[in-house]
Amino acid sequence: MAILKFEGVKKQFGDNVILKDINFEIEEGKFYTILGPSGSGKTTILRLIAGFDYPNGGSIYFAGKQINQLPANQRQVNTVFQDYALFPNLNVFENIAFGLRLKRMKKKEIQLRVQEALALVHLAGYAHRELDELSGGQKQRVAIARAIVNRPKVLLLDEALSALDHKLRKEMQSELRQLQRQLGITFIFVTHDQEEALAMSDQIMIINEGLIEQSGSPVDIYDEPLNHFVADFIGESNIIPATMVRDFAVAINGKEFICVDAGITPGEQVEVVLRPEDLDITTVEKGKLTATVDSQLFRGVDYQIMVHDTDGHEWKINSIHKTTVGKQIGITFDPEDIHVMRKNETQAEFDARLESYQGVEA
Amino acid sequence: MKKTSTLSKLYLTVILLVMYLPIFYLIYYSFSSGDTMDGFRHFSWTHYQALFADTRMISIVLNTIIIALLAATLATAIGTSGALLIERIKRRTLRQNVLVLNNILMVSPDVIIGASFLIFFTFLGIKLGFWSVLLSHIAFCIPIVVLMVLPKVKELPQSLTDAAYDLGATRWQAFSQVTIPGIMDGIKAGFFMALTYSLDDFAVTFFVTGNGFSTLSVEIYSRARQGIDLEINALSTVMFLVSLLLVYVYYRFSVKPSSKGGVVK
Repeated sequence: MAILKFEGVKKQFGDNVILKDINFEIEEGKFYTILGPSGSGKTTILRLIAGFDYPNGGSIYFAGKQINQLPANQRQVNTVFQDYALFPNLNVFENIAFGLRLKRMKKKEIQLRVQEALALVHLAGYAHRELDELSGGQKQRVAIARAIVNRPKVLLLDEALSALDHKLRKEMQSELRQLQRQLGITFIFVTHDQEEALAMSDQIMIINEGLIEQSGSPVDIYDEPLNHFVADFIGESNIIPATMVRDFAVAINGKEFICVDAGITPGEQVEVVLRPEDLDITTVEKGKLTATVDSQLFRGVDYQIMVHDTDGHEWKINSIHKTTVGKQIGITFDPEDIHVMRKNETQAEFDARLESYQGVEA
Repeated sequence: MKKTSTLSKLYLTVILLVMYLPIFYLIYYSFSSGDTMDGFRHFSWTHYQALFADTRMISIVLNTIIIALLAATLATAIGTSGALLIERIKRRTLRQNVLVLNNILMVSPDVIIGASFLIFFTFLGIKLGFWSVLLSHIAFCIPIVVLMVLPKVKELPQSLTDAAYDLGATRWQAFSQVTIPGIMDGIKAGFFMALTYSLDDFAVTFFVTGNGFSTLSVEIYSRARQGIDLEINALSTVMFLVSLLLVYVYYRFSVKPSSKGGVVK
């Protein structure tokens, strides 16, 4: 059963509409990420779940009960804030014990639960430190401990790692993922960092301008972006206009290519997505497309090579092999590297189309 | 750290000397056995003995302290709520206007405030005395407290109170356990500022003290008009020491916790 459900949720502040129509279900025990650019409304969704704001329309259900107007202090949800929001007048122990003390728990029990939470975030022995003796990463862990010590049904994390440096962030990503598996509670993580989302989540919801653009597993979203926005936002991509020829064939620059998409009217104008890492550079004779190299950028793991083809389309290629600027090359790719996107196709329509020619899948 | 130059050292010394010389001059003569400050006779405690035997003076000192403590406490309570409410005003212009009204009270001359209180109290038929002095002291202390507390309220992140609600706190619990400790430095500073303003206020108090009730500054003024009495010097010395103690207490309990947030552990 879904632990949390949004049904046609709307939210606006004055004339400023933040959420237009949000629908989703959250299952118990999974790691969800709400991903979107800044100003997309992702933090607002979190605030509605936490109860800091109430929706202007639609319904929010928690374990089957409508909780639209339920105050934050009565929800079985805890939040890890972007700025940690630790209480500066309390030490580590008292910060973590804050929620338990409000529940009038026995002293011994509090002691036990706090120690347990500290151990979970690898801060055992830090109980009696003051906050200003902690580094940013340690404060982050205290904030997480303060939330999980209350054993919420759902843990909300608002851009929780954005204040950390790159290395620490990577570390915390895997730790968070591990913590979620260990505790078995639902995590809802809000971020604008697509890499973070892909690395940690069971499910990603991509939100833009107050609407959910696509939701699915990281692999689904990466391999089968629903529209231009998602393809552009997640990872790097080449988005090229094309025409559908028939099932399993699409024409780019008038040249026909075999693809794995079907169920689209022949002759329909579509867009194809090709990931830069799926493209290979070869000789002009072996290439499916001919192009000229414009620039080459060394990025450590690979080279990012910008080329333009004979029709003037720009292509981005990530390759571990070096090439020469100005050289004529061939671009080659496999049929399954092409992903065809129809304009204005909804997720439900996409799923139905996929099922129509793939049988039961995903 | 760079060494302070001789010139700036000299400058500081001169300034401090000029500021403190009159006070030390006063203190010096409080130990003289003579009755005037014409020349120092020999060391004696006479004026101090006279001071502590002067029950009228002692009761006035006590009055002053009671007024200051009461006024500072009440003004702190009212001013802190005021600052919290001002911060809640959503419309910018309205908030600005309320703040301007608050600041006008800070900058307008004490004589005018005192005179207006006098007119106000006589109009309402309130007898001049303890209550009129207390009320006016509370009134002119409130803007000070508001000014001291407001920056702290502004600095307090919204996420802190959100976090308190999130962890199950009621409105009152969030207020008393998170908001108030969060702005405590400002409240303390406001209280001590209000205390000192109330202790040394002359102009406002002069207008609203009736017969039979007086505060220290008013009393000293009226005595000084009848000729200088070295008992005043003794009293000033005691007050100076008390102020010194107050400043010490203030720095000990109010400034130190706020510096804890800095780099120094």
